[in-house]
Amino acid sequence: CRRLTEQEYSMVADILCEFLEVAIHLILYVREVYPSGIFQKRKKYNVPVQMSCHPELNQYIQDTLHCVKPLIEKNDAEKVVVVIMDKEHHPVERFVFEISQPPLLSIRFSSPLLIRNDTLLSHVEQLLRAFILKISVCDAVLNNNPPGCSFTVLVHTRDAATRNMEKVQVIKDFPWIVADEQEVHMQEPRLIPLKTMTSDIVKMQLYVEERTQKT
Amino acid sequence: MDELYLDNIDEFVNDHDKIVTYKWLSLTLGIHVNTAKQMLFHYLDHKRKESSAQLHATYLVSGKFVDNGQTSHKVSVVREEQLEDVKAKMSLIVSVHVYSVQKALLKDSGPLYSVDYDAVKDNLKNCSKYSAIRCATAVPMSSLELQQAREMHRPPSPEPENKKPAMNGNGILASKPSAKPAKGIMGMFANKSTPKNQDSGREIKSEQKEDAPVVDAPKSRPAAKANPMMNFFGSQPAKKPEKNVKEEEAAQSSSTAAEKQRRSPQPEQKRGDVVAEPQKNTKNDSRSKNKRIEDSDSEEDKMEKKKRRRIKLPEPDSSDEDVIPDSPPQMETREASPSPKKEVEAVTHSYQGNSDGKIRKRRRVLKSRTFVDEEGCIVTEKGYESESYSETEDDFQPTKQALRDPFKASSSKDDEKKSQKKSSASANKGTKQASIMGFFQKK
Repeated sequence: CRRLTEQEYSMVADILCEFLEVAIHLILYVREVYPSGIFQKRKKYNVPVQMSCHPELNQYIQDTLHCVKPLIEKNDAEKVVVVIMDKEHHPVERFVFEISQPPLLSIRFSSPLLIRNDTLLSHVEQLLRAFILKISVCDAVLNNNPPGCSFTVLVHTRDAATRNMEKVQVIKDFPWIVADEQEVHMQEPRLIPLKTMTSDIVKMQLYVEERTQKT
Repeated sequence: MDELYLDNIDEFVNDHDKIVTYKWLSLTLGIHVNTAKQMLFHYLDHKRKESSAQLHATYLVSGKFVDNGQTSHKVSVVREEQLEDVKAKMSLIVSVHVYSVQKALLKDSGPLYSVDYDAVKDNLKNCSKYSAIRCATAVPMSSLELQQAREMHRPPSPEPENKKPAMNGNGILASKPSAKPAKGIMGMFANKSTPKNQDSGREIKSEQKEDAPVVDAPKSRPAAKANPMMNFFGSQPAKKPEKNVKEEEAAQSSSTAAEKQRRSPQPEQKRGDVVAEPQKNTKNDSRSKNKRIEDSDSEEDKMEKKKRRRIKLPEPDSSDEDVIPDSPPQMETREASPSPKKEVEAVTHSYQGNSDGKIRKRRRVLKSRTFVDEEGCIVTEKGYESESYSETEDDFQPTKQALRDPFKASSSKDDEKKSQKKSSASANKGTKQASIMGFFQKK
């Protein structure tokens, strides 16, 4: 067994951030947070996904993930949550991505060729595809949202928040603030697990917390 | 067939929330596709009678379609609500059957493709084992033959794009349907295997019209897509005959086996993909799909090794810009050899020496420019620009915006939130997000 190198951690963080970007766009599409007209079919992991064309929205999501990436690299990010809120800014749904990275890599990856290990990567790609598919059909298990919803992204970190605030303010004019209690906790949530994946380089779980009474 | 299958399907649909397509079912249970279709039909029927769960279904409809005097064969996957509509529009219906059953109401057809993707990939060598389309001469080429074919086909590069369809990957689709002349009159209509849709899409095989429990009411997906599709047909008077195509339908003026347009026209770079399909012996649809997936996988692997990239592939990535070679796109070359989509890019680039030893290449990149027009709307336009890039350049930059279609964010979009965003954007393009922390930041 060996520890992952910095380069490998960075690679894993890249993979996860790419995935999260696609996942966020897809959640916005499937849960109808924005009208479907702004979305366009694109390809990721060899399957069609819906991505938004709106430049501001895209920039916002990219900036968000740009800040999240260093946290993931250091394995400081425990959860990344996409919260959908109603008009009064009370959360109605929370898509929680719990992420963890194994500290040690198993023996078969002893050589530093992890980056080019195609079997591993295509396996991870397959698992991520399954996540994407699951998100696409999640409205079978969720109730409809009220109109006029907005969204935000929260990151739960493992360490003390203040220390991480400095890490996170990497982009000027894109500040992060400590989240309100009301955004973080939902009243009477219903828990709906969506998907879990385990691979050598990352473990991820996706579940949805849904408010019982949405309207 | 015993009744156990009903429970199986029930488990997949209700407990696992899966989308069950007939192809996935056939590969999972190891049964013939027609059996799978019938099973799905019976299941749907059964459940509807019980009126228990809320189920949705999609159907595949294939038949003759007349548009402006041009007859073509159209295959589409439609939602249940649109089934009758679509059936009414067809002049002759060759086949209708259940395509998939699921609990969720699908907003678009993307997941249907994803469902089958992994199932087919796992069974790549024999994914046509349960299929109804057969052709004895459709045999994958050996790697030697493959290489020879590639070498031969490279020099006579892209053909002139006289048929410039409004849509992107469809030029190729014009190719063929090779069909086996089956028995009698059914042979005329049956077994029209159609080339794969852009990304080794799906079926498009027209099934043998048999005892299939004719289910009705597919929903026609491509309501809007039918138009661009028809444009395409309109501009296609003559079909290029494929090499070993056995054309049965002499009667038809334009023998395009339509594509079931499940997706909106993919960006140009996908054209490369489609070239791979019309191999000379595209009788067996799944088989050529085999090849495509195989090819694309091996291409990806190669590219990964070459460029030291990860899962993120150099091209059809959602956040990347369109990359097309300087020469006219390869889509016109359909000399029946699976020209790999990415190799085309890599190979046809012109090399430029560079002082620091990296290989610099030029490529035409589809870049989008966002600007505010007179009316205060944000307009995004795409245009090709030539840029040089280095092979080792890291193209994973978070700030890329690959906006494909000119997106006019006019205020006709009635989302209030969006219009608010736009007005603030047009007023003040510099800031990303109005935030209260801005007040505290300047110290």
